[in-house]
Amino acid sequence: MAEHEAIIERMRDSILEADDDEAVAAAEAALAAGMDPLAALEAGFSEPIRELGEAFNRLEIFLPQLVLSARTMQAGLKVLERALTTAAREAARKGVVVIGTVEGDIHDIGKTIVVAMLRSAGYEVHDLGTDVPLPQFINVAEQTHADIIGMSALLSTTMLRQRDLLELLQLKGIRDKYFVIVGGAPATQAWADSIGANAFARDAHEAVLCLNARARNVTSRA
Amino acid sequence: MLSFVEIAKRSETGPLATADDFAMQNVAFRVSALEKKYGLRHAAGTYVNCDDDLADRAWQAGRELILQSGLYSLNSRRVIQFDEQEVDERLAAATAEFTAGAGKGAVRVYRRDVEDRRPPVIFGGPFNADVHESMFVKLNEAFAGEPLIDLLLLPGYLKNLDGVEIRPNSGLSTRAAMLYARWAREALMRAGRPGMPIVGHAVMALNEIASANEDWGLRVCDPRAFAIISELQVDDVTLTRLAYYLALGAPIYISATPLIGGYAGGPAGAAIVGVAAHIASVLLGGDVMHLGPQHVKYKQQTNAMSLWMGSVVKQAVARNSRMINTTSVTTSGRPGSLQYILEFSALALSVVTSGSHLTGPRPAEPLGWNNVSPLMCRLFAEVGRAAAQLGRAEANQIAGALHAKYQDKLDLKDAPVGLPFEQMYDVRTLQPNAEHWALYEQGRQELRAVGLPL
Ligand code: B1M
Repeated sequence: MAEHEAIIERMRDSILEADDDEAVAAAEAALAAGMDPLAALEAGFSEPIRELGEAFNRLEIFLPQLVLSARTMQAGLKVLERALTTAAREAARKGVVVIGTVEGDIHDIGKTIVVAMLRSAGYEVHDLGTDVPLPQFINVAEQTHADIIGMSALLSTTMLRQRDLLELLQLKGIRDKYFVIVGGAPATQAWADSIGANAFARDAHEAVLCLNARARNVTSRA
Repeated sequence: MLSFVEIAKRSETGPLATADDFAMQNVAFRVSALEKKYGLRHAAGTYVNCDDDLADRAWQAGRELILQSGLYSLNSRRVIQFDEQEVDERLAAATAEFTAGAGKGAVRVYRRDVEDRRPPVIFGGPFNADVHESMFVKLNEAFAGEPLIDLLLLPGYLKNLDGVEIRPNSGLSTRAAMLYARWAREALMRAGRPGMPIVGHAVMALNEIASANEDWGLRVCDPRAFAIISELQVDDVTLTRLAYYLALGAPIYISATPLIGGYAGGPAGAAIVGVAAHIASVLLGGDVMHLGPQHVKYKQQTNAMSLWMGSVVKQAVARNSRMINTTSVTTSGRPGSLQYILEFSALALSVVTSGSHLTGPRPAEPLGWNNVSPLMCRLFAEVGRAAAQLGRAEANQIAGALHAKYQDKLDLKDAPVGLPFEQMYDVRTLQPNAEHWALYEQGRQELRAVGLPL
């Protein structure tokens, strides 16, 4: 047991120090010691990354630290994934997100923060960047088997593209395949409701909370 | 000397990089190393930096950063690199003074030093707030009617015409760009200041260049606004507009919005990026460099970190270069509230004593249409003039006292919602109404009470 605790401690430190090699080595050690990969993932990687997300929210750390630690987690996760059963992999998988700033809009600061927070919360995120044509959201979502589409818009004019994408999904008959979350300064809960989006988040922290709530729902239904 | 054409070529031929790698490798890691190398640390509790050596170290760090990182060309995904000689030659030739506007309305825009006693130039106007087409001319006429405003700033964001939303790059947006310029010129005529310069960036996207027209639109004497996209990036629209407006010979106004808490790290790192972005703006052909720092949490510029960071960048630039520089003033409180006055005054004090001109003010999150006030811009200009009579230590003290009054109400959700122009003014006479005058007087009293020599 002491050995297991020591391994979890190594995994935690690897995340906090953003040490990719150590994360891989500690994950290998966890498997070699016969630990349950899902439990190791939760205590060794997910827990410290959550703590970092909260520290970022309080501005005790800054974006680069969060991005680096999220990358470290991905490196360690690859090792653990090998040992996960299909069911456990499904349970560990919180969701695949395709996200971008809509066409005509180049504001990316807020979206970048949302991406970093989601990655650090364990989501697989495909960041399409800014000024993203609407069909690209759909194409990439289909290619990557995503379950979530996120759209950021900072201008009151480009915000309308959020509405258009929902209409496009409807038109293609695939609206129900995706959980659509919208955000950006001009967006509000009332706007999200009026266009039929599944969720609105005022900031990156709220985006994580809201997608986590969805993930819990999906898992409990499964 | 490095030309714009050379920069445009490098954006096609420079080394390839992904946006993520540029942000982490070229910016985040380097900024963090430079912060340590130059011992730059945010002095909590200081709102106006009084340490010359720190400002000079921030300059060195920023200069080193732009040489190491280059500028990222977003669309071609290439890095535009610069060498030391190019940077130094362009800095030595930076514009230190120019004239904008025409005839009697012409304005001399000059560089200021730290604790320069000359008044700051005031770039004031709707500053990109949503302005309804029905109020566009009147609102700008009221701004142009304020004698302390030197240049009419970004006359408003037209988000729909005849009730139809404007999609960027659509035919409607080209029409909007032309009307924007035509209506802004009409406002100047009506205010009796036809030669007043307009800092313009109509609507958005590339088709905004349709606003250029000597007879009815934005003239060659009107500065055009650009932005370095954070952190240290440019896109094709910016390069294309620059190619055109540099060829026309219009003065070039470039803003930088480094993010505190983002890839630059904390306030000290964001100051390094701010200096680097100012130098990059000179390389791109800028005549006026504007700082509009962002904050991951507050999303506005009058929080303690942004006040300190702005003062450091402005002093670094004023002490070490010929650049003309200004600072945008973006608040949590909205026009029509006392908090708006307290916030814009704190930031004006911090940057005017640091060698900057003034741009703004504006609410970070305007609510609804026409959420701006010409009378508040008058007060802002008055505060700027008073600040020019102060030293940094005094300004620090007063800014601290003001900050204490609003620091608990910075969250945009809780900040005062303010009023639209129509509820602060009589729109027939274009005069502030009694309540708005009363707020102006109350603001002046509060400012005097904390020691501002108004
Ligand atoms: C998918 O799920 C989600 C969930 C949550 C999501 C989400 C997605 N996306 C965001 N969130 C949420 O979480 C994030 C993190 O907590 C938050 O993201 P935010 O982005 O809100 O917050 C960031 C952390 C900080 N905030 C920001 O980064 C935006 C700050 C402000 C000042 C701003 C900036 C910096 C810029 N700008 Co722009 N800019 C303004 C902004 C005013 C403001 N205070 O918001 C705003 C948005 N701009 C405006 C304008 C008009 C423009 N800008 C323009 C350009 C720029 C810069 C390039 C200079 C720069 C962008 C740099 C960059 N790399 O992004 C132009 C448009 C260019 C274009 N085609 O997009 C231009 C049109 C100006 C012009 N005439 O050219 C105004 C819009 C007015 C309107 N009614 O729509 C504006 C409100 C300024 C103002 N006060 O008037 C939440 O919203």
